[in-house]
Amino acid sequence: MASDSSPINTRDGQSSPDGWPTSPISNTVSSPGDRPRRKRGRQSSYATPSPMPADSRVRTPQATPTPSSNARRRARARRSSATPTSTDDVPPSSDVGEGNEDDAPVVYVWGTNISVQDVNAAILRFLRHFREDPQQIEGKYMRMINHVIEMEGDSLDVDAHDVYDYDSDLYTKMVRYPLEVLAIFDMVLMDMVGRINPLFEKHIQARIFNLKSSISMRNLNPSDVEKMISLKGMIIRCSSVIPEIREAVFRCLVCGYYSDPVVVERGRINEPTVCAKQECLSRNSMTLVHNRCRFADKQVVRVQETPDDIPDGGTPHTVTLLMHDKLVDAGKPGDRVEVTGIYRAMSVRVGQTQRTVKSIFKTYIDCLHLKTTDKSRMDVQDPMETENEASTGDDDSTQKSEISVEQLKELSKQPDIYERLTRSLAPNIWELDDVKRGLLCQLFGGNALKLPSGASFRGDINILLVGDPGTSKSQLLQYIHKLSPRGIYTSGRGSSAVGLTAYVAKDPETGETVLESGALVLSDKGICCIDEFDKMSDNARSMLHEVMEQQTVSIAKAGIIASLNARTSVLACANPIGSRYNPRLSVIENIHLPPTLMSRFDLIYLILDKADEETDRRLAKHIVALHFENPNSSQLDVIDLPTLTAYINYARKHIHPQLSDEATEELTRGYVEMRRRGNFPGSSKKVITATPRQIESLIRLSEGLARIRFSEVVNKSDVIEAFRLLEVAMQQSATDHSTGTIDMDLITTGVSASERMRRENLVSATRSLIMDKLTIGGSSARVMELLEELKKQNLGGGAEVHLSDLRTALSTLSAEGFLAVHGDSVKRI
Amino acid sequence: MVGLPYDCLANPLGAVRSTFDKAMSSDSSTAALDGKDWGASEVFRQFLFDDGGLSQVPLLNSSTMKWVQPNTLVRFRGMIQDMLGNEFYVGAYKDGDKWITNKFADASHDPSNASSDMRIWERQLLYCTPVPGQNSWVECTPDAMRNPYISAISPLREKRQREDEAIKSDVDMEPGYAIEDSPNLKKMRENGVAFEPFNLQKVVTEGSASNSSTPHVERDSVSCLVKIYDSPESDLKLNEVFEFVGIFTFDPDLTIPIDDKEVMDDFCEDELLCLPPSKVPRLHCVVHRKLGASDLVSSPHLELTTPVIKEIREALIGHLTAILGHDRLAAEYILLHLLSRVHARVDEVAVGKLSLNLTCFNKENMSVLGNNLKLVIGSLMPFTECLPLTVDYLNSVTLTPKKDYITNRLVSGLLQLAEGSHLTIDETPLQSGTLNSGGLENAQVLRSMMESQKVHYDFTYYKMEMPADVQFLILSEGKSNILPADLVLPFHPSSVDSASGVDGEMLKAWRWYLATMKSLPHSIDPPLQKAVEDDLVAARQEDRSLSREDFSRWLTMGRLMSVSFGATSLSMEHWQMVKELERLRKIRFQGNL
Repeated sequence: MASDSSPINTRDGQSSPDGWPTSPISNTVSSPGDRPRRKRGRQSSYATPSPMPADSRVRTPQATPTPSSNARRRARARRSSATPTSTDDVPPSSDVGEGNEDDAPVVYVWGTNISVQDVNAAILRFLRHFREDPQQIEGKYMRMINHVIEMEGDSLDVDAHDVYDYDSDLYTKMVRYPLEVLAIFDMVLMDMVGRINPLFEKHIQARIFNLKSSISMRNLNPSDVEKMISLKGMIIRCSSVIPEIREAVFRCLVCGYYSDPVVVERGRINEPTVCAKQECLSRNSMTLVHNRCRFADKQVVRVQETPDDIPDGGTPHTVTLLMHDKLVDAGKPGDRVEVTGIYRAMSVRVGQTQRTVKSIFKTYIDCLHLKTTDKSRMDVQDPMETENEASTGDDDSTQKSEISVEQLKELSKQPDIYERLTRSLAPNIWELDDVKRGLLCQLFGGNALKLPSGASFRGDINILLVGDPGTSKSQLLQYIHKLSPRGIYTSGRGSSAVGLTAYVAKDPETGETVLESGALVLSDKGICCIDEFDKMSDNARSMLHEVMEQQTVSIAKAGIIASLNARTSVLACANPIGSRYNPRLSVIENIHLPPTLMSRFDLIYLILDKADEETDRRLAKHIVALHFENPNSSQLDVIDLPTLTAYINYARKHIHPQLSDEATEELTRGYVEMRRRGNFPGSSKKVITATPRQIESLIRLSEGLARIRFSEVVNKSDVIEAFRLLEVAMQQSATDHSTGTIDMDLITTGVSASERMRRENLVSATRSLIMDKLTIGGSSARVMELLEELKKQNLGGGAEVHLSDLRTALSTLSAEGFLAVHGDSVKRI
Repeated sequence: MVGLPYDCLANPLGAVRSTFDKAMSSDSSTAALDGKDWGASEVFRQFLFDDGGLSQVPLLNSSTMKWVQPNTLVRFRGMIQDMLGNEFYVGAYKDGDKWITNKFADASHDPSNASSDMRIWERQLLYCTPVPGQNSWVECTPDAMRNPYISAISPLREKRQREDEAIKSDVDMEPGYAIEDSPNLKKMRENGVAFEPFNLQKVVTEGSASNSSTPHVERDSVSCLVKIYDSPESDLKLNEVFEFVGIFTFDPDLTIPIDDKEVMDDFCEDELLCLPPSKVPRLHCVVHRKLGASDLVSSPHLELTTPVIKEIREALIGHLTAILGHDRLAAEYILLHLLSRVHARVDEVAVGKLSLNLTCFNKENMSVLGNNLKLVIGSLMPFTECLPLTVDYLNSVTLTPKKDYITNRLVSGLLQLAEGSHLTIDETPLQSGTLNSGGLENAQVLRSMMESQKVHYDFTYYKMEMPADVQFLILSEGKSNILPADLVLPFHPSSVDSASGVDGEMLKAWRWYLATMKSLPHSIDPPLQKAVEDDLVAARQEDRSLSREDFSRWLTMGRLMSVSFGATSLSMEHWQMVKELERLRKIRFQGNL
């Protein structure tokens, strides 16, 4: 709207809303002059009790001509003497601009007790004296004005919060009567600029943003008309740029005389019917000269509610925005924006040529300021910023406003907060408490560390859930997806490598190559949930290597070489290879994932469906309750989802725990202990129980645990719990089923030490068997026969020999060139 | 209508205005009336419900469209297909010293004389279409309106005169308003009675035909733009079925010339441009109420006693058995399936749905049995849709509704269905072939709708989840893997004979039975709950492959089984019946292998 107050108006010293061109859309009669008046008449608290002549909007009850040298400064003092309600008749011709410049009578905005001088002075004071920090010598806005002058800019962004902090009264007036107050604002600005640099000719507009309260599109109602509002939404359509005429020049067809510029009035230009030249005076001879007219850019933009604002069973509402000048093309379809503007309504004419209007009003917002809030697309090229900034975008700010920081801190002081949070996480999924604890750590995350040398350590915790079907893995995933600050949910089956990372695409219109972010880049600083991890193509999986340790995605194709941040935690879940977990096989064999990738998961949980009556009973109870009771009543003492989200967001943003000495000691001790556990006394078998990767995981986990408590220090207890979590996860995944010890080799190579030994035994047994039975180039033997023989000899190291084991052994031997295997027959070479 | 100074039916606006005047005279500030009702809706409520006026209000459909007069009261039953947001209008304005209201009217006024004072009020715009898949019997409620004026000319004249009088008295009462509106009426009078109905109908059919957003609605049905006053937004949800009673306006005078070139630039100028008042009738809603399943069927005036219910159930099962070639098990399952509805949603799980897949259909028995089944379901359920699943169909059709930002309308897809609709998917014609991306998406949409009873509406920049409650029945040769149903039942018909006819009374009873039983509340007693839990645990100890879904299905079936007997809590007997059904079903599978 500020843009709407066109330079001409202000130059002429008119701040009257009538002068503002407000017919952005054809087929309308805009009658802003009528409506503001009508509206204001209703503002009972501000309305002057006495009746006013309908035509004048500003009145001068007291003409006190004073020298204007510093009239503005004294305006306040003068006003106190003026009685705002006095309505002595003074010709209503005096308008704001003149009154301000010359004899400064107290001028009121029609129908209110808002004095123009008063507002003028308040604005001037605000601009001159507002400082964010009392130590600053120059006011914030003075600095900005100077900057604008240097840059030859045309607008000054004014933070409404600053206005409120400095002068809440001015803020209230501005929001209630934006048309008038902003016109004064613009004039004050022009005046100031004129003083600083008299040669500066451009018109500077004030662009207000960041209002104290923003309204939901759904709640806009007739009482908001003509008020300053701010709302959030998503741009769905932009019109092409429309040149809107501001000043028209006409030429006489008869004598060639050029008329003076004709200014838009009430949204229309009146074509002179008579040539103004005295000698000519011919009628109906004027024609518009296009290239001498002045035009301004205009754009009509539609904004729709964001999906999260839409109530159940509703469709999104939309609102029309009108953008002028610099705001044109400020946003493009798909952008999430925060709009500050003036809500307006205008009547609609029945037909283009008819004067009758419908009883319906079209509403639109005269846009003052537009801020794109969706950073996720933009983030791609961002340099590594600290965790403090942009971690969760705008979502948390709105949510946190509802749940105050105090409340969260109160919550964090509770001794059982860890337990409570665990309980509150997916309360409908019972059991799996340790898995939930792990997920909680993931949600809170550790501290990312960047060494001066350039090496960086990720703070994100990756978790893999492996389990039998029907163990609510997917539900957990869905839940985390809903909860996490910037979660992306994909299914491994439907994801390709490019879909996960990023790909280069050609813009069909411009032909430019652009980077399109995939799921991992989009969930930068969030959690990327990948369901059906096992069903993902190898190619796609290999892309994850980089992401999960280096936290970047590198692109080198089509002229673009880029490294994109993907600081994302990965939460994956997979089904075992034979759909059910086969306890005889290792985790790696069960999931069929490359060990290199497996080792990048901090925690690997096996969710197995054990034949346990107790769990069955709970399942039965749960499902019965689901079907017959009000499902919500069964849970007690859980933290609701918004609070939980706010809690996590706050912790992620503000808490950065450091390891205490005690904790460091414990970490070292525990790690040494873990490694030592692998060395059985008197055993030649070398079993690695922990790797350096584990210690990193442990640090991250304990940091996450400290964050849960809102603690800046990682305690010993956190480290102990982290060890416990790791062990619980390890016990399930890294247990060597034959020896019962933890074996990291199982994760890193997929084969445990004892298994390796057994295999070697079998190979040698098979070798000797074949040496005995077959001759070189002689007859072949069948695999089944060999198996029988081996079973008889019981050379498999005590355990039963399986066909698959034998085949592995045979293939090892054939690789040695000892024999050849053709289908089912074995031949010695 | 005796005792009222106005005729609510023929001159509802008169009622609106006189109540307004009354309100104004007692409480003179219009500001107090902002967004509030001044008693007009109370008057209509009393007229419609207490005085039984509802049955006199004509139901708006293609046949009644021919003779319904503008500015009279009509009823309209439809599904909310799209919500067009709020509209600001001049609610009241001052004409001289007198306040005049525009509420419940589509008036235009001259800005020059409506000079000084006016109040802006808002109303909600809904685009309503007939419920997709609505069966013809739903319309024919016993109090279905026959035009009382069409059979004989003289009553029509009488009616006309009465109306003219009403208008005349209007003129006296409210000069401003009547002048604006009368040209339209006058024109109609000039046009004459004979011409006018034809004209209206033609326009209407054109309107609905050219309307892209309702592709699968029958040609002769009527869509309507409903304007809702003073009702909280949360009352009305997308895809819900409502009955609106309101003032009908159909005003070809308000036509905007289409050759308006500037319209192209300002695309957002008038989102209603594609719904011009000359093509889509407006309804200024006075009273609206949600229609549940039982509102759509007529009650057979039976007592709700257990034996009666049992009798109806037996008869219905018998009929279904006959239809299904004497496969009683299938009939039992179909009955449970027809009674299912989503009664709760916990996280991603829709509790209470029971989709059924009847396998072992082939070309021969499909043509007879399948079609019979479809017909029977059509005659029992109010809203039924049928979808032949072929590769071509999947590749070409749009199933999900999509937002068209150019017209700012929600373009309906086949899956925009009202709550409680029944969808039969015939998989038998499916041949092997390649699905394109659209087809794949459609298959996924169907699948996810079946699994979670949610449809993702396409809003270009994001998808929006809309809850649905649709019963899925799949007819296929083998087990359908594209659409995994909760229940798979091999269908074993013993004979293929066409079923005997059913008399109308019986059919009515069955409809009533299904609709009523479906909405029964349900609970479980603690002792039985324990027994059921024990049963589940025991079953799982025996067979590890039983999953959460199996348990869920059993409990749903238990619920439906007892509901089918009219019981509101689960009893052991019904639980045993469910287990027996499941046992028989399992045997069928083994027999099949």
